[in-house]
Amino acid sequence: MRSVKSFFGLNRTNLIICRNVTTKKKITIPDEEEQLPIFQYPISKSSDRRVYVWGMAETGALGIHMPGRGKRGRKSYRNDFSLVWYPMRSSFCERFDVTQIACGYGFTVAAVKTDEQHKLFGTGINTDSQIGYHAPRMGHPLELLLSPAPIYIPYKSLESKIVDLAAGRAHTVILTDNEGVYTLGNNAYGQCGRKINPNEEYRGSMVSYNIQKLGQEKIVNVCCGQDHTLFITESGKVYSCGWGADGQTGLGTYKNQAFPAPVKGDITTEKIVKVASTVDCVLALNDRGELFGWGNSEYGQVPMPSKSDQVNMSYALVQFTKGIGKIVDIAAGGSFCLIVNEQGDVFVWGFGLLGLGPNVQQSATPKQIPPALFGRNEFNPQSVVEKVACGIGHLAAVTNNGDLYTWGRNRHGCLGLGHTKDQHFPLKVSIGAHVMQVKCSVDHTVAMCKPFV
Amino acid sequence: MEKLQLTLAIIKPHAVKNPVAVSYIRNVIKNRFVVVRTRRVILDANEAGDFYQEHEGKFFFNRLVTFMASGCIDLHVIAHKNAIDLWRRMLGPTKVYKAQFQEPYSLRGMFGISDTRNVAHGSDSTVSAEREIKFFFPDFSFYEWHNNDELRYRKGPIIFNKYLFQHVRKL
Repeated sequence: MRSVKSFFGLNRTNLIICRNVTTKKKITIPDEEEQLPIFQYPISKSSDRRVYVWGMAETGALGIHMPGRGKRGRKSYRNDFSLVWYPMRSSFCERFDVTQIACGYGFTVAAVKTDEQHKLFGTGINTDSQIGYHAPRMGHPLELLLSPAPIYIPYKSLESKIVDLAAGRAHTVILTDNEGVYTLGNNAYGQCGRKINPNEEYRGSMVSYNIQKLGQEKIVNVCCGQDHTLFITESGKVYSCGWGADGQTGLGTYKNQAFPAPVKGDITTEKIVKVASTVDCVLALNDRGELFGWGNSEYGQVPMPSKSDQVNMSYALVQFTKGIGKIVDIAAGGSFCLIVNEQGDVFVWGFGLLGLGPNVQQSATPKQIPPALFGRNEFNPQSVVEKVACGIGHLAAVTNNGDLYTWGRNRHGCLGLGHTKDQHFPLKVSIGAHVMQVKCSVDHTVAMCKPFV
Repeated sequence: MEKLQLTLAIIKPHAVKNPVAVSYIRNVIKNRFVVVRTRRVILDANEAGDFYQEHEGKFFFNRLVTFMASGCIDLHVIAHKNAIDLWRRMLGPTKVYKAQFQEPYSLRGMFGISDTRNVAHGSDSTVSAEREIKFFFPDFSFYEWHNNDELRYRKGPIIFNKYLFQHVRKL
């Protein structure tokens, strides 16, 4: 046997030597340059999007873990981070045309432009089936997804598009263009808009609920708090369902609401264009740029003439925001509120690291954050803040130049500034793209961007 | 050696639903305390109201009760020579919005969402610990604990059983 082996070995080395010795004779073609193909660097289309993610990665909410080969268990994933302190480009969003994105508590959902069944992908915590039913093994539904997976939703027609997404603590709300709203996930308070069943098992449930219309009108916008849901209809009416213990449903009671009902109080006569809510406090904006609020007010987020901790009906904050002018964007955090007016000035009130100084503080009136901190100076006078967003303890603002500024509590590195220390004033996040939209959650943040070139 | 003190730790619904938070909290509990009993229950609103009867009449009572009744909760009877104080110190201040700045690395500072969704509950005194343990573990005998089990858990060889999630006698 041994002799046979050595014979083969010898033969192989001979072959290799032969290959090395042969050289190709170079033949020169006279007009070689003209025959070469023209090379051009790729230029992005206007519809191209880049998505950057950062924050707590251990829940899988960032979707950056890539399945590897061979090994089993958690180790088999590449990019096995538990925290991501700086913006990281999501490779999932490079492969699909992502149109909408929403962040919940430890999970992320993204809508994809396609005419097929799988329009929606989700990643992260799935203990309440908030990102659908995923069972690679029959009868063993996954409670945590580390990389994005398609969510099955029973669309009536595959041509319908997803126009808006919202996610709460454990539920997802999907707004389609002509099939109304689909809700997934936990319904313990009625936040999915269907009947509350106290003994329902949410783990591994395949239930999705469809709300076609509210009050004979089409739904045009959705928004989720942690445990409640808000819908805006075509005529600007706001409907709400879910947990009402702080009055965050705005229905005049502190009870849970199973079916969406119109919010009572000052906004009933107004045309509302935007509602914002992250935890238990809700802000609403009408078409004239006036502010309304309801819900939790323990830290003075919705200041009433008579001091109260819970506001269960919408209340006009026009007097409170007097002198600020027309408001264009709003965001409500856990213990503070953030608004931006037409001139691009940012105002903040409530409790927390508001960006007004190095100490945690309480502000009862709207206070302006100096515009120089958002890059408006002598060399750059046109820079204005256009959009704002809030997590429960952190704040974010996007300027018209596509710069993202974050500040506040840096829980699990959700500010994306490269460290986990709290940030006292707005600081620019280093993202290599033009930021268009930012979505904050409890412990992670997602920014939707446009490429520079 | 000092006698072991008992306290009741309740992991609230939102933390039970977050696998990352649960594994972190469970690690802390099993490494710092002796786990005597563990149970997972789903409360209804009446039971939760009975449990929190000391808060009845306060503005957050309804909020607390509806929250505690919204999903399953983990109950751990934990022992340590200074259990009540140690567990409350690990939890941090009750109000999450303040805890996250005062003590960012306490359990509430790390995993709390709002003042009600504040990760876990801890008994505030020996009297209330006894009342709360009796509420959830009617078959738990304090007489037996003081006479027998306490010594066994303090001195005897014990081993952690990860399926029961409690310490048991090493045979």
